[in-house]
Amino acid sequence: MSASLLTLAWKSLANRGVSVALTILSIVLAVMLFLGVEKIRTGVRASFDSTISDTDLIVGARGGAINLLLYSVFRLGDPTANIGWDTYQLIASAPDVDWTVPISLGDSHRGYRVVGTTQAYFEHYRYGRSQPLALSEGRAFDTTHEVVLGAEVARQLDYGLGGFIRLSHGIGDVSFAEHSGHDFEIVGILAPTGTPVDRSVHVSLESIEAIHIGWESGAPPSGQAVRETSDPGTLEPDSITAILVGVSSPIRVLGLQRQINTYQGEALSAIMPGVALSQLWQVIGAGETAFKAISLLVVVVGMTGILTALSAGLNERRREMAVLRATGARPRDIFALLILEAASLAAAGAVIGILLAQAGFAVIARSVAARYGLDLAGGPGLTEILVLGAVTLAGALLGAWPAWRAQRNALADGLSIRL
Amino acid sequence: MTVPAVRIRDLVFAWPGGPAVLEIDRFEMAAGEAVFLAGASGSGKSTLLGLIAGITPCREGEVCVLGTRMDPARPARRDALRAAQLGIVFQLFNLVPNLSPLENVLLPLRFSAARAERLKQDGTDAHTEARRLLDALGLDTGSLTRQVTALSVGQQQRVAAARALIGRPGLVIADEPTSALDQDARDAFLSLLTAECRKSGAALLFVSHDRTLAERFDRQIELAAINRARQAA
Repeated sequence: MSASLLTLAWKSLANRGVSVALTILSIVLAVMLFLGVEKIRTGVRASFDSTISDTDLIVGARGGAINLLLYSVFRLGDPTANIGWDTYQLIASAPDVDWTVPISLGDSHRGYRVVGTTQAYFEHYRYGRSQPLALSEGRAFDTTHEVVLGAEVARQLDYGLGGFIRLSHGIGDVSFAEHSGHDFEIVGILAPTGTPVDRSVHVSLESIEAIHIGWESGAPPSGQAVRETSDPGTLEPDSITAILVGVSSPIRVLGLQRQINTYQGEALSAIMPGVALSQLWQVIGAGETAFKAISLLVVVVGMTGILTALSAGLNERRREMAVLRATGARPRDIFALLILEAASLAAAGAVIGILLAQAGFAVIARSVAARYGLDLAGGPGLTEILVLGAVTLAGALLGAWPAWRAQRNALADGLSIRL
Repeated sequence: MTVPAVRIRDLVFAWPGGPAVLEIDRFEMAAGEAVFLAGASGSGKSTLLGLIAGITPCREGEVCVLGTRMDPARPARRDALRAAQLGIVFQLFNLVPNLSPLENVLLPLRFSAARAERLKQDGTDAHTEARRLLDALGLDTGSLTRQVTALSVGQQQRVAAARALIGRPGLVIADEPTSALDQDARDAFLSLLTAECRKSGAALLFVSHDRTLAERFDRQIELAAINRARQAA
């Protein structure tokens, strides 16, 4: 019985081409928007969570965990203070410490932050599911005045291997003081990671020291010629900004963190990146919820087209309903017919929307992954099934009103069909 | 003696808030009988048909179709009885526009298993019977799958008659089915309808104001003669 009502519903819809197509189109667009937002949202979340991995502790000068995370990992905000080089060496040689990566910040190149570090950075920095950094071109720096660019830096500024760049003092967008006399050769470009590494300019700690010779007062050296440094060994830094620490055994992490936090020689903070990341997400996650709410509203608005499509035809269809009644249809068959029409519209919109969204993701997945490090690939999953179910159900519920009116009309009309 | 096709006792009917439009003490149609019911427009003909078809509930008195009461308290049962035992032909616009003529003929079978069952007993299936009826009613096969709206009014009425007759219902009700047809089409349609009803054993209640058609029926009745309700001016 209901199967034959369904064919009646479909034939009726097929007969009303344009208005039905437009109604489905609005649902298709709304569903595509929702799925797109949802995909990007989960992608951003996943990419956010995988900004840094395998680093057990991040150590910086004493301050808030989120602030430390922001400047050491996200290259945002300003470091509060530095860590002494001797403290770094102390931590690096502590018994539970497997590896360390020193990070020195404070310079920039055309708005991109310069990260002073060591070879250990390329060896130990991990993102996503323990993915190491990879060079798409060239090699890592191994002496001063060599620079390795993040993927976005190279792409945005259109830099290639063998080019020379200069660094600026300070981390503003428009830098006031250039480290003149120090040309850095681009020796490597990193593959895209979808993390802030893409927006970083990497040089050795020695390079940082070299360009700051004579800057001890905080101002550019005046009058004196800048020394060319051929012996990096003499360029030991006084201080650095942060340390990424890998611990030999996971169970030692908390102990080491406590030790560092209570270290008497210098005021330090050690944070666990995972904990700080989820704290940070709580702050910015509110925007994400608003995003989701808006895309849900778009779906609701898109679906109200069902009401228009069904209600508009209701008066013209009174004769059709009377004929159905005369041939034996019960009032609830009339009701069910309209509900099935509404649900079919919604389901058709959802299915087409899901398929088009999937096709769209497949087309752009590659370039989005390369540019933004967002993973959009992957076939329809639970989200799509839920969307299909929820949209169809909502369509059926929306159909209840016109269906009730049609049933009421059919009962009132009886056998007399009005023109 | 067989059960009468229609049996009405002490019927009084008024639309809500209005005066009584029908007061019929007694009306009967034998099984298989073809009855011509004449009445001026506004005389309550359509109301009476609605009551017999079970679409309008009969609150006072009793309407029975083929021995079963059109119970006012049980709408679903009236719907089922109508689906199983009644075929209805309207004056105009009989067909569902989204369906082909053939699908329109098959429509009652969707709502009544009893009709489909009778087809099986007769040793035929839905499509064969639908085509046979349409053929008997003079519709060429080319028209069967065309758009309903592309058919002439005469053709539409024949499709409606085939739909009313499919699955051998006990009673066919026709409400002014010929008033939109010209003379020739009217005569042809009437002959085919009465012949097919007789062949399938269905009683035919034919309502019209055109008394020239009356002689083709077993019996003629003036509604005014059985209805005691005073007609509104």
